[in-house]
Amino acid sequence: MKYDFQQKRQLLVDHILNHQADFYRLAFSYVKNQDAAMDVVQEAIVKALDKVDTLREPAYLKTWFYRILLNEAMNHFRRTRDLIPFDEALNDRPAVTLDPGERLDLYDAIERLSFPEQTVVKLRFFEDMKLEEIARATGANLNTVKSRLYKALKKLKSMTGEEIDHAS
Amino acid sequence: MHPEWENAKQRYHSIQPPEGLSAGVEEAVRRGDQARRRHTAFRRSLTTALAGCACFILLVNASPTFAQAVSGVPVLGPLARVFTAREYALEDEEHQIKVRLPGLADTGNEALEERVNHEIDTRVQALVDEAEQWAQEGRDAYLATGGDPADYTPVMIDADYVVEHQSERYLSFVVTVTQTRATASQQFFPYTVDLETGEDVTLQDLLGEDWKETVNASVKEQIAQRSQDPDNFYWDGSNGIEGFTSVRDDQPFYLNADGNPVVMFEEYEIAPGYMGIQEFEILPQGE
Repeated sequence: MKYDFQQKRQLLVDHILNHQADFYRLAFSYVKNQDAAMDVVQEAIVKALDKVDTLREPAYLKTWFYRILLNEAMNHFRRTRDLIPFDEALNDRPAVTLDPGERLDLYDAIERLSFPEQTVVKLRFFEDMKLEEIARATGANLNTVKSRLYKALKKLKSMTGEEIDHAS
Repeated sequence: MHPEWENAKQRYHSIQPPEGLSAGVEEAVRRGDQARRRHTAFRRSLTTALAGCACFILLVNASPTFAQAVSGVPVLGPLARVFTAREYALEDEEHQIKVRLPGLADTGNEALEERVNHEIDTRVQALVDEAEQWAQEGRDAYLATGGDPADYTPVMIDADYVVEHQSERYLSFVVTVTQTRATASQQFFPYTVDLETGEDVTLQDLLGEDWKETVNASVKEQIAQRSQDPDNFYWDGSNGIEGFTSVRDDQPFYLNADGNPVVMFEEYEIAPGYMGIQEFEILPQGE
């Protein structure tokens, strides 16, 4: 079944209204500031409505919107860190910058991960999304998501010094 | 779940949305609707290479030999020419279609003209048909669900072309089909021909054996340059989307006024959608 613009728009608006708190929370978890988080959510909504025609499959509405939201969050994340090169800020931040013996709380440790690693962890464990959904929401393939999650858990383990395998 | 994870999850979910969230969200919905209407109006009024368009690229290698034979043609002078072969508009409550199709003439190679003109025609017509069918289904669903026919947004298609380059040797023009509502709205159809042989002209013909290395190096350099502007962003793998690595064998391109190839990337191909269609001029090496 194909949907026309009005139907897609309605689905999108309903989705946004029903999950606005989730979107705000995710945005805030990256930008750590109320106004900035609000900006991220609003920009994502404006772009999604502007581009709702490009949503082909309404079944993917959830991940489609997450992708737009995450792009906005990342742009913001990047702007607030323009003193250091982007790649360094996002990918090569030292996983562990702790004094010997210091142990981080798991949540604080997650915030030290790179943007993509944080994203996988938050969507998987805090938003309870499936890995396939995370792959669509981040535009990565499933194997990338898996390896990212694996690496993130390894880093978290070394930062918290605990066995925190999710399954255990 | 491990207690550490329970704690972390709880901390995450303890982030409290501000009271103004709902109002902010509603305002954003209004702004989004406005933005879409504005863009739709823009797309309707201008037939430019905007977001969501299909481009045909045609590059004709016109040899100076018979340039002489067509020197009487006013627009291009001593050159093969591109003219408006077909122009029509269809406007009713279900469609707004504007088509201006180019044709190729005076090339001295009738078989080539026929092939090129037929291909442009077929491709544009296929897109128009597809968009129409899509619109028809959409309209049926819209009316079946109680929509008011007066509020229905018709399918909008604009097909137009721009001559990018004309010289003794080359003729290059880009056909742009902008569909506001069709699913196949973001495709490129690279299309290049050599006038003498009637064969397609490739980037390899223009840049030599190492064309890929040349183009890739240039694109990467230009991406790095443009990325210095904080408003510009290209995929770089950091958000899980792999960045530009190499052009495809059939990367679309046209020749610009200076006679340099300009490679084109679709929306989302190497950058977020807001960056639009990305073009990179490949300057000649060692000059």
